[in-house]
Amino acid sequence: MNEDREGAGGIEYVVGAEKRLCEILGDEEIMPILRSALRAGVSRIEVRDSKGRELWACGDPTGGGGRAREVAPLCLEGEPAGSIMVEIPSSGRLRLRDFTGLLSEVMNTMITSNLKRMLTAEIHTTVVDQTHEELIETNRRLRASESRYRELAESLDRKVQERTEELKRIHTRLIQQEKAASIGLLAAGVAHEINTPLGFISSNLNTLKRYMSRFTEMLDFYRRIVGEAGDGVAEEAAKRWSDLKLDFVVRDVGELISQSLDGAERVKRIVADLKGFSHVDDSKEDVVDLNTEIERTFSVLAHEIPEDAEIERDYGSLPGFLCDPALVCQVFLNIILNSLQAKKEGLRLHVSTRFAGGDITVAFTDNGPGIPDDIRGRIFEPFFTTKDVGEGTGLGLTVTRDIVTAYGGDIEVESRPGAGTTFLVRLPAERGRDVEVR
Amino acid sequence: MIEFDREEKRMVLKLVFYGPALSGKTTNLLRLHDLLAREGRGELMVLDTRDDRTIFFDLLPFFLVTPGGLKIKLKVYTVPGQVKHDATRKAVLQRADGVAFIADSRLSETANNYSSFENLEKNLAFVGIDIETVPLVIQFNKRDLSEIVPETDIERLWRPTGIPVFMASALQGWGVVETFGRLVELTYDAVDRKWGLREGYGLEREEFVRRLTLREQVR
Repeated sequence: MNEDREGAGGIEYVVGAEKRLCEILGDEEIMPILRSALRAGVSRIEVRDSKGRELWACGDPTGGGGRAREVAPLCLEGEPAGSIMVEIPSSGRLRLRDFTGLLSEVMNTMITSNLKRMLTAEIHTTVVDQTHEELIETNRRLRASESRYRELAESLDRKVQERTEELKRIHTRLIQQEKAASIGLLAAGVAHEINTPLGFISSNLNTLKRYMSRFTEMLDFYRRIVGEAGDGVAEEAAKRWSDLKLDFVVRDVGELISQSLDGAERVKRIVADLKGFSHVDDSKEDVVDLNTEIERTFSVLAHEIPEDAEIERDYGSLPGFLCDPALVCQVFLNIILNSLQAKKEGLRLHVSTRFAGGDITVAFTDNGPGIPDDIRGRIFEPFFTTKDVGEGTGLGLTVTRDIVTAYGGDIEVESRPGAGTTFLVRLPAERGRDVEVR
Repeated sequence: MIEFDREEKRMVLKLVFYGPALSGKTTNLLRLHDLLAREGRGELMVLDTRDDRTIFFDLLPFFLVTPGGLKIKLKVYTVPGQVKHDATRKAVLQRADGVAFIADSRLSETANNYSSFENLEKNLAFVGIDIETVPLVIQFNKRDLSEIVPETDIERLWRPTGIPVFMASALQGWGVVETFGRLVELTYDAVDRKWGLREGYGLEREEFVRRLTLREQVR
């Protein structure tokens, strides 16, 4: 009937909702009163609602005449809500009006106190329910905020971890750069120191070679003169010549000098490569041919490569790649070193380079023992190494990956235990260098 | 509105006396009970109290029958003012047709008045009643005391809100019927707008107010 909308709080019980007499009074309260009225001499007693309908009754209804009747109102919140009707025999001794008044007083008091009790109980229940709902709601909000904070804490943890990893990588790269820089400096110094004596060694050897040809020529002349001399001089000279194995010496001297010159030439080339590799002279970016850089790396590593190792080169034609050559050489060096260290004897290393789809790919495949499954995922982690303490820093492949990533490329490793390992470096030829490498 | 039964021609309205603790809400009802004619109203029902503080509510019912035969019952309630009884306040405020906010005029109570009024705004919203449209009057009670907020200050603060403000001393019995009368008037307007008391049941505003504020004849 009520057309007002329900409150947002959803309270079902409304303080002030109308009640009827039969909701407030109960059989167990009314009937004893009615019965005791009968015992007191009443012939008929009825309690009726506001419409005159009988709610409770006691006594003989077929009284008819010979009875006196009295009706008194029953009130609910001060409003007539019903009535009480009392009939007594006309001959009875009861004072009808007083008795009826007493009964209505009793019942009205009962109605009022019952109503109070009900209202109190109802509002108490409402308040308890509502308080409970509010507590549940508060609890829900607290849980929500707790889980939000927990999430925040977790993501914070993750971020801290990520940042730590990043710092670790940067730190690693710094160490590596420091190392590379000091190696470069050392190489530059050594190269310089070696170049000077190497210069006069080569020069002197060339001079010596010329001088030797003069000595040989003069020696030939003396030998011819002495060979014609008598008194056994010729024989003695021939004997001494033979004893001192000068035939061989004369032949060998030229070769020795030539070999020495070759050696000096090689030293010169190595020094040049070393300088080139460390790029102490030009640590700037340049467009380079990666095939050349791979070759340069191999020549620096020449002394590390065992004699029985087979290096198979399968170089494709590559476009120029803009980079810091020192850094890409370091990439190749670390991968090659990895293979060299993995297989000391009978190493076969296949190097191929290709250019396709805008990417330069360089693949190094060895026939080494392969990388076990359980550590393959970790080989790029900083300080991860399978070598004994002091033999490896665990930084080589980390630095390699960092450099490749910095050039916008990626590095993959394919390996099966016992079946060798392939490192595949992919570099975008037209790279956008968004990350500072140095 | 608690109930409106067209067939039975019965309407039950609810007015609520709201306000901070000890501002005199129950005293207002007691005075109305004393001052208004016995005919047409029920007895004041005071639910359990502790140390004379209302913990549930008080109820004073009024009755009238319109010329058109509509039986109107107006139930006037107080709420417990203490902060801790907020859930009871919400329950009592549910479906109110009008609210009288009884403020305590003492200077020391200014802050309590404000927080109680805020609480009223919050709880009206909670039970889905729009504070902008609900019939609302404010009574500054305890004007008989000293150390009270000056009337000019009250005027200045509340006039812009458009809410009718009354000065009263419930203890001395003045201003109480006026407050109630104005609330009844506003309530009539709101109910009439919605349910057509004049058109449908021949009940004029003046008659409604007169019947509900009829004073008990001093004999």
